[in-house]
Amino acid sequence: MGFEEIMAIIFIYIFVENLVLNQFLGICPFVGVSRKMETAIGMSMAVLFVMTVAILVTWLIYNYLLEPFNLQFLEIVSFILVIASLVQLVEIMMRKISPALYQGLGIFLPLITTNCAIMGAALLAVTQEGFPFLTSIVFAIASAVGFAIALILMAAIRERMELVDLPRGISNSVVTMVTAGLLSLAFMGFEGVVTL
Amino acid sequence: MENKLVITPSPHIRTPETTKAIMMDVLIALFPVVVVAVLLFGYQALVTMVVAVLAAMITEAVVLRKKDLISDGSAAVTGLLLAMTLPATVPWWMPAIGSVVAIILGKQMFGGLGNNAFNPALVGRAVLVVSWATHMAGDVWPVPKPFSPFADVVTAATPLEKEGAELLEVPLMDMFLGNIGGSLGETSALALLIGGFWLFFRGHIDWRVPGCFFATVFLMGAIFGGGIYENLVLTGVFHLLAGGVMIGALFMATDMVTSPVTGLGKVIFGVGCGLITMIIRLWGNYPEGVMFAILLMNAVTPIIDRFTVPRKFGEVKE
Amino acid sequence: MSAYIQDIRRGILDENPVFRLLLGLCPVLGVTGFAMNGLGMGLAATMVLICSNVVISIFRNFIPKTIRVPIFIVVIASFVTMVDMLLAAFQPELHDQLGVFVPLIVVNCMILGRAEAFASKKPIARSFTDGLGIGLGFTVALVALAAFREILGHGTVFDIDITGAAFDPMGVMALPPGAFLALGILLYGVNLLFRKLGIE
Repeated sequence: MGFEEIMAIIFIYIFVENLVLNQFLGICPFVGVSRKMETAIGMSMAVLFVMTVAILVTWLIYNYLLEPFNLQFLEIVSFILVIASLVQLVEIMMRKISPALYQGLGIFLPLITTNCAIMGAALLAVTQEGFPFLTSIVFAIASAVGFAIALILMAAIRERMELVDLPRGISNSVVTMVTAGLLSLAFMGFEGVVTL
Repeated sequence: MENKLVITPSPHIRTPETTKAIMMDVLIALFPVVVVAVLLFGYQALVTMVVAVLAAMITEAVVLRKKDLISDGSAAVTGLLLAMTLPATVPWWMPAIGSVVAIILGKQMFGGLGNNAFNPALVGRAVLVVSWATHMAGDVWPVPKPFSPFADVVTAATPLEKEGAELLEVPLMDMFLGNIGGSLGETSALALLIGGFWLFFRGHIDWRVPGCFFATVFLMGAIFGGGIYENLVLTGVFHLLAGGVMIGALFMATDMVTSPVTGLGKVIFGVGCGLITMIIRLWGNYPEGVMFAILLMNAVTPIIDRFTVPRKFGEVKE
Repeated sequence: MSAYIQDIRRGILDENPVFRLLLGLCPVLGVTGFAMNGLGMGLAATMVLICSNVVISIFRNFIPKTIRVPIFIVVIASFVTMVDMLLAAFQPELHDQLGVFVPLIVVNCMILGRAEAFASKKPIARSFTDGLGIGLGFTVALVALAAFREILGHGTVFDIDITGAAFDPMGVMALPPGAFLALGILLYGVNLLFRKLGIE
């Protein structure tokens, strides 16, 4: 796969087809974890790690196990179990290897299981687009970075809004949604800058 | 009982520079551009501007439940700036809707002036561009007919939307004075520069944001601009004069609420705006990138502020 | 009897998964471009929710505590797979429109949340009505948002043109930014409405 293609995929899945702002995946953590910068960064790193490994494993399972034996209908069950177990594994490993890291990131890991970002990205890359192996890995990293960027931008804005007296009826979620909408609007400018 | 203990962050300084005074200065700065717009594009320009400003002021008054239409003047400025980004031929309800969106979604929803994350006028424009693209791009830009306020409108594309040989036909001097197609506020670089100098002279804008914005646009235009004119420098100048760079850099990117506070931050902001503008112009689907560039940099501003905080006296670097 | 009615009312109003609990937002934003899609997704999710709630409730005394979450997940995933296949077979256009969000029902936090908080502890009939209530609440929210976006963005609702040629649709509502903005606007409306109704 050419260098240009790799660069194109990276750009596209970070800016043009951003996981959160464009494809609506990972909204729950996007809304829930973006109140403080530390949690945003922590979640981003956790997602980056889990996303890459999950897509790697699900790719293998789909292409070497499900497809050859015509078991595609098992994709939903198998993918979600893989992701759930992966997260458990990461949690256990993290607790042993770096308790400090676990203190910071630990609580996010269960949140990653029941969030559409990983599952959605895996389904997208492996079954919908059917990317080849390396492309899937690049896609995973790019998508996670895109997620991180959206999350961190949102956290920075929300932290600034912490001290503001909001008008009546405007709850935090309203502000978050509108801000996300404006971010999504701004990102639309990148349309067509890079094409595959 | 009214809260008698008012807690505000420092600095606790008193200054005659009120919001209203600043807004008045901005309106004065825009005056040359308004005049040029009406001269070039006739009565329709006036209608667009009046509708936008009125809609903005009325919306703010309704939302804040105040009888005072003028208030601190910021709504009027938002309305006028929004109008400046629209073509004169735009149907009257567009500046109205744009102003409503700008004031509500771009400003008041965040808690009013000073708390908004994005430039309100550009929020309004972005929604308009995305919603009614057919009215905002392509062959809708009226060909200016100087000094003929009621002339029939003939429409064509802007210089940025033209390519190749057609492009060479647009003389740079026309672009400087304003005798070209475009939105109300983007045609006359001369009028905008006059306004910009007024704001600078009054101390309301810092040279860094527009300076770096211009420099980046010029450099990228010269180097990557595809050599529109044989002379690289002229290509760079073209990109400076074309589209919304002039008005964006002088009036939108300099909005103190949505741009960084620190000096280094302002430099980064200006460079970032220029960079993204040119990336979109040269390689993206949209012909003009200023609006998106500024909105994106608005979003990054809190992060820029965080990372460019100067070291406090006595602080030990970790 | 009233407990069952309460369950349903709770799911639609007080504990509306979208407007109050802000759960399962991905499909809320992703499929609400058209009212029909919103309705389809809502009903599909409701089906899964009711089925999984009932099954989990039936076996609630036999599921070991330590591995209950993976078991819940398998149950939910199986029903999602079934619904996915049923949709693909009987409603192919809807299935295509909803795309990846049908399988994503499996990670919809409201379903797993309900299994954990309710179905694993309450009798079957209650689990059924709870699932029905939450599912209806979800569907109502989806249809409301989708109708809002479709009317403004296309001038139609449920594919019926209700505005005529004079209305120039507001393109942004049909696009991703519009989804976020529309949800924000609706949330504001719901906040005001609930305050009027006295729910807090």
